[in-house]
Amino acid sequence: MKITETAVKNPVSTALIFIAIVIMGIFSLTKLPIDLYPNFDTNTLMVITTYPGASAEDIEANVTRPMEGVLNTVENLKTLTSQSRENTSVITLEFNWGENIDQVTNDVRDKLELIKMQLPAGSSNPIIFKFSTDMIPIIMISAQAKESLPGLYKILDNGIANQLARVGGVGAVSIMGAPEREILVYVDPNKMAAYNMTVEGISQNIAAANLNTPAGTINVGNNSYSLRVKGEFTEPKQLDSVIVGTVGNKNVFLKDIAQITDSLQEHIQKSFTNEVQGATIVIQKQSGANTVQIASKIKSMLPELQKGLPSDVKLNVIMDTSTNINNTIRSLEETVILAFVFVMLVVMFFLGRWRATVIIIVTIPVSLVSSFIFLFVTGGTLNIITLSGLTIAIGLVVDDAIVVLENITKHIERGSDPMSASAQGANEVSLAVVASTLTLIAVFLPFTMMSGMAGIMFKVLGWLVTIMITMSLVAAITLTPMMTSKLMKKDLKHSKFFDTVYGPIERGLNNLDKFYGRIVSWVTLHRGLTVVLGVLIFILSLMPMVTGKIGAEFTPASDNATIAATVELPIGVGNDVTCNLALKISKYIREKYKNEVQVVNFSTGLPSSDNTYALLRNSGDNLISFNVRLVSKSNRKISMFEIADNIRSYLNDIPDIKKVNVIAGGGMQAAGGQQTLNVEVYGYDFTETDTIAAKFAKEFKTIKGFKNITVSRSDYQPEYQVDFDREKLALNGLNLATASTFLRNRMSGSIASLYREDGDEYNIRVVNAPMYRTSIEDIENILIYNPMGQAVKIRDLGTVVQRFTPPTIERKSRQRLITVAGVASGAPLSDIVADAKKIVNATELPSDISIAYSGSYQDMQDSNNDMLMLGALILLLVFVVMASQFESLTYPFINMLTILFALSGAIIALWLTGHTFNMMSAIGIIMLMGIVVKNGIVLIDYINLNRERGMGVRHAVIRGGESRLRPVLMTSITAILGMLPLAISNGEGAEMWQPMAVVVVGGLTFSTILTLLFVPSLYTIFAGTGVKRNRRKLEKKYAKIN
Amino acid sequence: MKSILIIYEQALEPEVKEMMRLHNVRGFTQVQNVNGRGSRGGEPHLGTHAWPALNDTMLIVVEDEKVQPILDTLKQIDNDSEILGIRAFVWNIEAMI
Repeated sequence: MKITETAVKNPVSTALIFIAIVIMGIFSLTKLPIDLYPNFDTNTLMVITTYPGASAEDIEANVTRPMEGVLNTVENLKTLTSQSRENTSVITLEFNWGENIDQVTNDVRDKLELIKMQLPAGSSNPIIFKFSTDMIPIIMISAQAKESLPGLYKILDNGIANQLARVGGVGAVSIMGAPEREILVYVDPNKMAAYNMTVEGISQNIAAANLNTPAGTINVGNNSYSLRVKGEFTEPKQLDSVIVGTVGNKNVFLKDIAQITDSLQEHIQKSFTNEVQGATIVIQKQSGANTVQIASKIKSMLPELQKGLPSDVKLNVIMDTSTNINNTIRSLEETVILAFVFVMLVVMFFLGRWRATVIIIVTIPVSLVSSFIFLFVTGGTLNIITLSGLTIAIGLVVDDAIVVLENITKHIERGSDPMSASAQGANEVSLAVVASTLTLIAVFLPFTMMSGMAGIMFKVLGWLVTIMITMSLVAAITLTPMMTSKLMKKDLKHSKFFDTVYGPIERGLNNLDKFYGRIVSWVTLHRGLTVVLGVLIFILSLMPMVTGKIGAEFTPASDNATIAATVELPIGVGNDVTCNLALKISKYIREKYKNEVQVVNFSTGLPSSDNTYALLRNSGDNLISFNVRLVSKSNRKISMFEIADNIRSYLNDIPDIKKVNVIAGGGMQAAGGQQTLNVEVYGYDFTETDTIAAKFAKEFKTIKGFKNITVSRSDYQPEYQVDFDREKLALNGLNLATASTFLRNRMSGSIASLYREDGDEYNIRVVNAPMYRTSIEDIENILIYNPMGQAVKIRDLGTVVQRFTPPTIERKSRQRLITVAGVASGAPLSDIVADAKKIVNATELPSDISIAYSGSYQDMQDSNNDMLMLGALILLLVFVVMASQFESLTYPFINMLTILFALSGAIIALWLTGHTFNMMSAIGIIMLMGIVVKNGIVLIDYINLNRERGMGVRHAVIRGGESRLRPVLMTSITAILGMLPLAISNGEGAEMWQPMAVVVVGGLTFSTILTLLFVPSLYTIFAGTGVKRNRRKLEKKYAKIN
Repeated sequence: MKSILIIYEQALEPEVKEMMRLHNVRGFTQVQNVNGRGSRGGEPHLGTHAWPALNDTMLIVVEDEKVQPILDTLKQIDNDSEILGIRAFVWNIEAMI
């Protein structure tokens, strides 16, 4: 090839070009942000609408349904699900992956404009909520407090949140679990009735007394002054003397009819960390910001911030995604270094020359840095995907250089001078090198066309590996021959030390060559028997797959040292009871797993309606949500899954608890969580679907490995409803809106005005005193004033009844559904699905109820189809590449057969290691297709070369085998050892890549051995037949002439 | 005057140039990338995938007394790197302009 000669003849420019590339790569590396996952566009939008005071059914009927009707018409919508619960409607729109989410958001916003007018008057504007990986909190800090608890919100808001929000890249800082100050005006309804007053009137009076009014300007002499009335309260005490009315020429002060307290919000979400109450500060980052940098900045600020806080307030980091990122990245870095060392040792072992080893090893950084340049240019990050790409590539990028260098060395050993040996040696194998690189590209380039979740994971991986191996090819045919021409010596004089150390190895390798030559000689003689044996081995290796020894799942679950749990007590249980139980559980977890648990954090109670982060989660006075942070994986013996299972069974044994949901991994991972199976029961009737769901849930518990079975719909919530009689309302000149506003203002309160202090605003809430809000009579006795000024009791306008309503109504595709969900722990998902289907099919269902399966199971099926398509496409591409390189159909066909052996090896490896068949192992098998054909290409290409040089078929095969054994073994062993650290790594996040690495290691080992035996015999069969056919043709042709 | 046709493996180009400097040969005619095969064994130089090596040829015209020293030098080059291959053939020059 021209390019090789040019490179050999111009060593200076060649060297400098590659040095320039390396410098650019290192520059890019220093600029790359580090993150756990690649940044991806979300495919999910949430529309959140609050309607304070409405029950789930009201929300469903008045908010969710009309909105669903409109939103369902948005283009490219995949699924539409909704949750209608007390006060809130959450509609989740899931779009096909790869849609432009900004475009979609605009569509949704337009549709929402249409529906806004039809929503109930009291409901808030719908908020569109884009969920992306950026929404995952990067750090959660708990603030424990004792004496400062009442003022904690303000302390944290001023002392911490504001400072943290100023850190570059921080998106939002929200404080949860700290009660906010509120000025409460508790009115006495009896006194109000006596004075003929209403909550509304009092509120107006308070608002009128709390005003700053500009009154224009006044000119005094030559000066002009502005005139102002400053009437705002300067302290809450002033509220006492607000005059709210006059009765019989006497002023009625607010203190006469109400008790004014400067206090805290009545309903708050409480948050405890290691059993000490406090608040949780949740920090989210801006899109595209560097998590690790922000986290370390924030953590470095904490000691300083701590100094400015009251002494009883203690800050503690309870969750920090950057530790997980750092650990994962570090373990991957170790893997990369280990792979590097392994590869170096292999090259040293086979070549026995340190100069040769240096020449090969140089291609690794040259190829790897090209990926950094790509990432920098495309705005990528260093994450687990890109780093795994590096690990995968490290064993592959040396292959080309090895083949080239090995051939050049052979030329030099035969007596050529290094210069011409380099050019010619590289030329001889250039075809094989280009072909084998192209097959690898044929495997990895289609990765960039993948869609869906897999696309997000593997698109960048595909690009990176493609770029790296292309770079390695360029280096192998330019840099490597250039370096051999300069560095390799014609007459190698070994030192005595070298001879004693390497002598035996060299003799061993020479004997191996000869031994292999004899084997090839045997298999080419007994080719029929060899082929039959090969077929038998292949069929036998399929047995573990056929007999179901290998389970299937979507993605392997990985241990990220986080466990989330929600515990539900019976509805109506007060918050104090819930709190006490939560404290008990928290203590138990911390005592039982003293060495494993770092922090236990839990929160309980209803959050205020302006906290978006809290709104996304289920909350209530009877709900506890736990967040358990474990020490990192390498520092503990018990796995996260085991601890989660134990916590689950402990919680299940507490009789007070109704429902338990323990999620190992925290449920906030984009991938790598535990495998889920959701059985969806569709049907309108609550009782019917409830019965069926309960039956399923009960029977599913018998399935082995199906844990954490939950039914999505919780219990019916008892509630009091006021049924107004419309006729009676009309008779009194009232309408429903007025009547319900009166009720609401008395029970939940009306915000009269705002009290300002030090630049902060606090609500002044007028509400019936708590003792007048405890019984049905209190509701019935509420007075409603009609426009004529007459007071009517609610008892005279309607009835107060107790009813039960479901707290959350879930809908999917505009149908009510109830989901029975569970996770796989200890058994592969495929087995669980099979068992669950058996149970479902054995159940007789009413005609209006339908069943569907979703969760990881659905993802698995989607991805299986994708993988099959991808596999077929890649198989075809690999064949095309080989056929065009060999300009033949026969040899590529022989090579494709090696893929079958790779499959055997993969299956056996999965079976032996107990891994499942999942997305990652499927990727591993697809990668194998490109890697294993390399061996065949190198071998067959050289055999063809020998035949062109005039050898007979069998002689060419035997000599080719002897000559190519070392490069084949070297490239395979470097690829295997390069992948081995990933296969056996115990670091954080390693579980994800293990199945892939195991498949590649197993498949490559197995197929290399079998390729070396079967390719020669198959080649002899096909080439022999070819030769005979040509001879017959010739004989026929000349027989005619004669 | 005699002409010497030197046919050599491309890699020997520097050595051939050195020889010319050694014997003060200024004029030459070179044809690059020629195929060929020796009569007494050795690898063919065909520029193909199987036999990628190629020859260059150098035609020089020198005084009669220079011929033998040149051939001696060439012989030495051949001995030094037998595997590459270098051959020289000598003709008489009848006339020239």
